[in-house]
Amino acid sequence: MNKGIVHLRINGEEREIAIAPNRLLLDALREDLGLTGSKRGCDDSSCGCCAVLINGVPMLSCVALAASYENCDITTVEGLGGPSDLDPVQEGYAEMGGAQCGYCTPGFMIATKALLDRNPNPTMEEIREALSGNLCRCTGYMQIYESVKYALEKRRAISAAAASGVRAPVVR
Amino acid sequence: MSLPAFRVLQPRTVDEACRMLAEHGAEAMVIAGGTDVIPNLQMKLFAPHVLVDIKLLRELSQIEFSPRGGLRIGATASLTHVLETPWLAEEFPVLSSAVATIAGPLQRNMGTIGGNLCLETRCRWYNQSYFWRQSLGGCLKKEGDVCHVAPGGKFCWAAWSGDSAPAFLALEAEIEIASVSGARRVPLRDFYKNDGKDRISLTRNELLTSVHVPARMAGRRGVYHKLRVRDSIDYPLAGVAVAMEVDASGICRDARVALSAVNPAPLLVRGAGEMLVGQKWSRELAERVAHAAIQTGKPLTTSASTPIYRRDIVRVFTRRALEEVWKNGQASS
Amino acid sequence: MADRAQTNGFSIIGKPLAMADAVSKVTGIGKYADDLSVPGMLIGKILHSPYPHARIRSIDTSRAEALNGVKAVATGQDAPNPYGILPIGHDERVFAVDKARYIGDNVAAVAATTAEIAEQALDLLRVDYERLPAWFDPEESMKAESDWIHEERAHNIEKEYHHVFGDPDQGFAQADFVAEERYYAGEVNHAAMEPHSTLAIWEPHERLTVHSSTQVPFYLHRTIAEVCEMPMSQIRVIKPLIGSGFGGKSEIIPLEIAACVLAKKSRKPVKITYTREEVFLAHRGRPITIVYLKVGITRAGKIAAVQARVVQDGGAYCGYGPVTVLYSGALLGAIYDIANVRYDGFRVLTNKPACGAMRGHGTVNVRFAFESILDQLSHQAGLDPLEVRRRNLLKAPCITANSLRVTSYGLPECIEKVFERSNWKGKKGKLPYGKGIGVACSHYVSGAANPIVRSNMPHTTVYIKIDRDSAVTVYTGASEIGQGSDTMQIQIAAEVLGVCTERIKLVGADTELTPVDLGSYSSRVTFMAGNACLNAAKDMRDQLFAAVAKKLGCSPSDLVAKNDRVSHVSDPAKSVSFDEAVAIALEFHGALVGRGTYAPPEAARGGKFRGAGVGPSPAYSYSAQVAEVTVDPETGHLHVDKVVAAHDCGKALNPLTVEGQIEGSVYMGFGQALQEDMIWKDGRLMNPSLLEYRIPGTKENPDIESIIVESVDPEGPFGAKEAGEGSLAATIPAIANAVYDAVGVRINSVPITPEKILEALRAKEKALATSKPPPEKSSAPGMAR
Repeated sequence: MNKGIVHLRINGEEREIAIAPNRLLLDALREDLGLTGSKRGCDDSSCGCCAVLINGVPMLSCVALAASYENCDITTVEGLGGPSDLDPVQEGYAEMGGAQCGYCTPGFMIATKALLDRNPNPTMEEIREALSGNLCRCTGYMQIYESVKYALEKRRAISAAAASGVRAPVVR
Repeated sequence: MSLPAFRVLQPRTVDEACRMLAEHGAEAMVIAGGTDVIPNLQMKLFAPHVLVDIKLLRELSQIEFSPRGGLRIGATASLTHVLETPWLAEEFPVLSSAVATIAGPLQRNMGTIGGNLCLETRCRWYNQSYFWRQSLGGCLKKEGDVCHVAPGGKFCWAAWSGDSAPAFLALEAEIEIASVSGARRVPLRDFYKNDGKDRISLTRNELLTSVHVPARMAGRRGVYHKLRVRDSIDYPLAGVAVAMEVDASGICRDARVALSAVNPAPLLVRGAGEMLVGQKWSRELAERVAHAAIQTGKPLTTSASTPIYRRDIVRVFTRRALEEVWKNGQASS
Repeated sequence: MADRAQTNGFSIIGKPLAMADAVSKVTGIGKYADDLSVPGMLIGKILHSPYPHARIRSIDTSRAEALNGVKAVATGQDAPNPYGILPIGHDERVFAVDKARYIGDNVAAVAATTAEIAEQALDLLRVDYERLPAWFDPEESMKAESDWIHEERAHNIEKEYHHVFGDPDQGFAQADFVAEERYYAGEVNHAAMEPHSTLAIWEPHERLTVHSSTQVPFYLHRTIAEVCEMPMSQIRVIKPLIGSGFGGKSEIIPLEIAACVLAKKSRKPVKITYTREEVFLAHRGRPITIVYLKVGITRAGKIAAVQARVVQDGGAYCGYGPVTVLYSGALLGAIYDIANVRYDGFRVLTNKPACGAMRGHGTVNVRFAFESILDQLSHQAGLDPLEVRRRNLLKAPCITANSLRVTSYGLPECIEKVFERSNWKGKKGKLPYGKGIGVACSHYVSGAANPIVRSNMPHTTVYIKIDRDSAVTVYTGASEIGQGSDTMQIQIAAEVLGVCTERIKLVGADTELTPVDLGSYSSRVTFMAGNACLNAAKDMRDQLFAAVAKKLGCSPSDLVAKNDRVSHVSDPAKSVSFDEAVAIALEFHGALVGRGTYAPPEAARGGKFRGAGVGPSPAYSYSAQVAEVTVDPETGHLHVDKVVAAHDCGKALNPLTVEGQIEGSVYMGFGQALQEDMIWKDGRLMNPSLLEYRIPGTKENPDIESIIVESVDPEGPFGAKEAGEGSLAATIPAIANAVYDAVGVRINSVPITPEKILEALRAKEKALATSKPPPEKSSAPGMAR
């Protein structure tokens, strides 16, 4: 199959990859761009392990043809934050047990980030709904909810601190 | 689970899309959100040489309402877009209630209304991997000549498994179909062929561009009840949609009941409207309509849930949905 | 949120701590097996049998081999040595040599430059099969007179065990109420989110390096050597991050060996990653289990006798099968004080994927049966089912009827905790029709006291190294699979050495770098690797203290290690920093290596009867749970509103991860109780996907309240026992019993689907309409409503 050049803005960086038209975004990320944080857990778009933000909206990269998202803004788990500048969502999942084996975690964090970006103060029901396209086999979800709550409190603290011009306090 | 080799064409206009479909005809498939098409391609249920990706057809992504033209939802409007259009929930509650049950939020962010109206029919002997089907020797719908649901039969019973279609049926929707020879509007009820193997009246060079609901349906009460195992992700095992106009004295002025996932097509319940119009709520009437529903719904063993149970549920859900909408959103007993 | 116990003056032990590898997971930096790739890597794909039972006459590989891009094709002839996880029953080969025994059995494999080419090559392999009659139902399979799945296993019975403890006949004679029921549990799969993946790299000097998604890297090491006919010293197995296992990665999975065979044959790196369907076909999950159970109790609620006949549908290969059926017997009655038990267990072969170990190995389905029948008997006797459990408690320390040594027993406290937290008294028998509450208990081993391969070697060894950088490195063979075992060992080392956890580095589960640990199964890691790590840390501390004591002019016993210092216990002037202590110790000893091992004590190793080796553990965990449900009597729809789960883990070394384990166990039990079921038609799995095999999502999953109970085991590290599996088994019967409380029907078959509930309700209605109600139902308090 003839490869074509596809331009994607991955985690804020312009990237150019030569891929076949049948290349899935998940495979392009993992194999062509070396971004293995997004995972494959199923083969029928039912688990959410592969979720990434496409123009800010959480979507399944396992059913997205990479070429169809030419010039789109794509955020993967690697783009949420690095080890020394964790996003509050990442910090929440690390601190509160939301990540056990960690395999579904990138997808859950992407869904969480999208939720909190749109709705900074979700109810428990809204949290369950927003995460209902993702499956986790380890946690029983309770510590995932704690992780989301940690993240939203941390975000609140950061914006309060930003408003008052002080550095963000540590939540825990 | 690699994908077949195909080219992807990205038309910028509906006309261009139609020209592409006309040119590539039988070897082309339309893709929008990909949530149905890509897994099916990975299972090698289809091997198109060309995918016409209509995601970029902005003209098809709109949701609009006018008192004259009624509701128009473009084929590429995402399911999330439908859910997050607040006036839709007010004016067409049966539709919002149905779309809210489709898969999960990630899938709804990608999946489109057009895609949901054109879903492949589903059967547990069909929606399986290439290896799995090879080991079976295929089925009537694909690679074989035996129906494993109704052995001996020559009819494919794969079930219609979309949630939005029964809601649109209950709202008397029409769809617009485009091709190089022009656009045509057909009632949605005529779109579905009730044949698991050949589900919709859409030729390979045609494109479903939008769905229309008459303006008079605005404000009509409605609800969709869905049988599923998980409260997200799952396709329906049975679905009942009710849309109804009730006057101030509690008399039904117009009503439709539609079913999903129990036949190869989403179907309107025969005779339901006639039974309901001019009547006041009674449980006995609701039971009669529910009984009519199970005359229309003919579930077979296309999914893990038993046909007997799904029939039972169609009956209960029909009665409950009627009660709920008649009593204006009050919870059913 | 859960209830957390006190920390009792420890610096690190008992405090909730984020997992050591959490940052690598939340940033996507951490690598799982399928994330690894090396230059020149080939992709391997496996050809599976389309038939459930078929003789393989021939395989023509020529067309596949001729395909451009194909670098190796392997069949049974390339690796004919049999293997298996146990010392007995080595009946598996990486590729079928004589027969294929289930749909999905492994027949051949291909390594090619791309996945597409490998898939094409599979299509070009020509296998000539001769179909044979196949066996799918275990009770039918047991009666087979011909076409046995393995010729040497007559009537397709893999193993049977018959145990009698006490005098069951006399016990039943003394019972006032006797119930006899048949229970059925459908088959379930681990469904770990990470599909199995293995990367095998052929290295210079005829060496092989294998990165694999395994819970048992050291067994894998041994098995690769056996099958590939290479010395173990030429093979290195490395366990990367694991996307959880739950037992599904605790045996040798065919792709692991297939990748090695292909790598050896092609002399290139080969990676194989399963599709989700292949995960289901490799399986090793919890078998279909049929339990014929008879239990008698006295008027006072004392269990007088238990008799069980258990048939397990093991699938086509032995695997852990004999262990599963022995655990079912050993753990059946040992949770309570029961003198008289008869157990007949059968592990049966069928032409389906092999079953194996899954969370709560062997205990879950018999516990469902036992706790259900106990509830039924309690109602028959007019007793509160929770009270009946109180009346049958063991008094630890003790030895059970089947020779299990119980050293600590937090079950009474678990029962009292869930009694209070669930408001049992206010709710039992008092909820409206359609709402119900149920109780059940469970227990589990903290590792097996007898190793799979009998030897007198330790079950686990840990080394701790300190050098001039003052970093403390723990070398452990224990397999972190997401449960937090690395963090647990870091905590133990930090606590003993009196340093902060940041100073500890851990190298885990790499056969070249770390000493042996048997693996992450049977909930053995906290108890065994924890104790080995504790011993290694103490050994290291002794070395530091010896040197520092000499320098400070005191006795080593005067020293304490705390807050990154080594100090005199009563003279604050005599104190050095940890860095100084290390320098002093290096000058004194030259090299600083702490060593620790663990092997269970002789007293924990159980009885002498046939099959007595399985069941004994150095310590047992205990759980009690109360489930609250809502049943829609018109649709049969069941919703679990809440599960209150108390678990005795001895001592919660890290309450955060202990709660995570309790909640995860309840979740998995909930899944099996309501909606998970592998559906078979003529040996064909109808739902090999996460779309159709329905593990629970956020919306239907119940609220879980976890409660930690600490009985402080005398032999556990800081008193700790297992936390990862024991809770699961209580969830299913607690839900089943709550369904009875809600609508007055007993569902003796899991999953408890709406269909089953509705059917039972209709049968009950019919029975009430046509005849006198059966005695048990008439005496049920729920029926008054």
